[in-house]
This record gives sequence, structure tokens and C-alpha cells, in this order.
Amino acid sequence: MLKKDIWAMWRHDGCLEPLYEMENRENEIVVTIDLPYVRKDDIKVYVTENMLEVSAEMRSAVSWERWGSIQRRITFSRFKKQIHLPEKVNPDEVSATFKNGVLRITLPKVRRHVPIKVE
Amino acid sequence: MGEVSVIEEEEVRFEKPVVVEGLPDVGLVGTIAVSYLVDKLEFREIGYVESELFPPLMVIHDGELKSPVRIYGSDEGVLAILSEVAIPPAAVYPLTRALTDWFKERDVGFVVSITGLPAPNRLEIEEPEVVGVGNCEDAVTRLKEKGVELMLEGFIVGTYAVLLKECQKRGVPAVSLLAQCFPVYPDPGAAAAALRTLERMTGLEIELGELLERAEEIKLKARDLMRQTSTSLAEMQKNMEQDLPIMYR
Repeated sequence: MLKKDIWAMWRHDGCLEPLYEMENRENEIVVTIDLPYVRKDDIKVYVTENMLEVSAEMRSAVSWERWGSIQRRITFSRFKKQIHLPEKVNPDEVSATFKNGVLRITLPKVRRHVPIKVE
Repeated sequence: MGEVSVIEEEEVRFEKPVVVEGLPDVGLVGTIAVSYLVDKLEFREIGYVESELFPPLMVIHDGELKSPVRIYGSDEGVLAILSEVAIPPAAVYPLTRALTDWFKERDVGFVVSITGLPAPNRLEIEEPEVVGVGNCEDAVTRLKEKGVELMLEGFIVGTYAVLLKECQKRGVPAVSLLAQCFPVYPDPGAAAAALRTLERMTGLEIELGELLERAEEIKLKARDLMRQTSTSLAEMQKNMEQDLPIMYR
């Protein structure tokens, strides 16, 4: 289920925080991120053993006039999200696909489950 | 004041009106579909729902103060219920009871809830399928006659599930249309699929091109409501919809 954040999903620096979902599977962690207004070539993914960072330029900036409580024009041009991973992953084996505005990142775990023979 | 009140600002005078409900749920399928319907067919605002169980907030549109849970009506005798806030779990039963009491008073002939069916493989699905659940023989017959596949086994969780039951208790035929959707992302594609089925169920004609063209904009605008809704649904044990019921016949 979606992480229960308590902060707003936008920042004054023009970045929006995307919606994301993380699935912790037996041998891998799968993260999907919703990135509307984004082209595949404008996505940057950085991975360490325990952290995933995604940033993506929107193909055109999106503006809202008199936004919420700040009551002024605000423009967003980029998504940015850092996700702390629940287990160590192998950054060299990470793969990603982008389809219909959703980025899917598969992160193989360093410590994989090994089947043990029961005698 | 009762726990939930339905306030009519314009008296409802339709004969056996149809109600279309699109309260926030997975993929915001109902919310996106019903807001598009209201906008596209130029429904007018006729009332709202208020409750101390809702978050203490009001919405401002074009400088006008509005309740976040509103009722719209069209000249064709269709009523629509929309919410711009997630329904807190504690409000689900009182809200559905108040709405169905009001349906009964206004002699509502048929209720259609639009919602989502979480599909873990949604990324691979080009055309989301829509299944239906009816609350009585009449409702199930209507679904079958319009070629809507029935959900035969499983749990349904959320406002629409309780609404089906409360309508059943009051003898109001009701169906839920569930479109395959992303569980935690706003899903305009699923909303379009649900609206196509709604067209078949009600005879309404809805031009869907703009909904699909504006899909990315809708996804962007609906992010905050999606986040609130996901939190609320987690408290309702929404994930039980992925479970198998234990009973067998």
C-alpha cells in the first residue's frame, strides 16, 4: 500500500512527488512510479544498495494559478522521489521499463532466499 | 443534526431517478468517471452531504464555498454523487444509511456505483474489463441483459459495498460496476471503461474522447485525493478484495 506521508506532495522548487508503490518479493523488490507528462528519455534512475532515487523532467511545465493556501501561481516541471529500500539490492542488476506513464523498476536482492532440503 | 445529513438546495422532482455514485476508491475510477459525466453532460449542483464525521474542510471553486461531498442532477432524471475528499472509514455506514434513506424518500429507481477492481497486472491490460455486482434479482438481471459479466465470488470492500447492502435492505435495486484498475494510481482508462458500461446500463450517451485525451492532466490533478484515499482504504482492509472467501456452497 502507498506510503503514508505526512508532508505535501509538492515543493517550492518546482518538484512534484510522484505516487509510488513498492512490492517486496522473495528475491526482488519491485517499485512502480506514476509519472504523467513524462517521456522515457527524461527519466533518471539512481540506485545504491539501499536507496532508489528517481527524477523525471515533465515534457512541459504545468502551472496552476492561485494554488491552494499560498494563493499564487505555481509551476511544476519535474518529479523527484527518494525511496529507502527495505533490504539491500544489487545495483548492477537493476532493470527498468516505462509504459503508459508508469515506471517499473525491478531491484534484485543481494541476499536471495536459498531453498534448503528438508530431511 | 444526525451523523450525516443530505441537504437538497434544489428539490428533486424526477420520477424514479437513476443515481450514479462515484465516491473515492481504488484508482479513483468512480470519482474520475462521475466528475467527467457531470461536466460533460452539464449536470447542475442540487445539494450536498454534510457530516461531523467528514474532515473539517470545505472546498472553494471560483471563489464559492462548497461542501466536498455534493449531489448533482440532470434534466434526464439522473442524479450523481461525488466527493472531493476520501470518505473516512467511520463515516461509511452513516453515509450510506443517510444516502439510501434519501434514495427511498425520492423514489430512486436504480443505483449504479462506479468503482475499481485492483488489477496487479494493470500495466499489461490495454482495455480494462468491467464486472458487475447486483444487490437483488432485478439488478442482476439488468447486468446480464446488458452483457456485463458478474462477479461470482470474492470480497468487496468500501463504501460501494455497504451502499449495495443498504439499498438491498430498503428495496432499492443497485449495481456496482468494477473496472480493472491501478490500485494506487488515478486511472482515467479504467474510468472510461466503466463509463462505456454505464452507457449500456442507462442509455446515457457520453463522448469519451476528452477523458482519454486529458488522462495525464487528470492523473496529475488527482494525486492528492488518490493518496488520501489509499490511506483510508488501507484502514478499511481493502486488501481483503484480493482474498478468497472461506465458505463454500
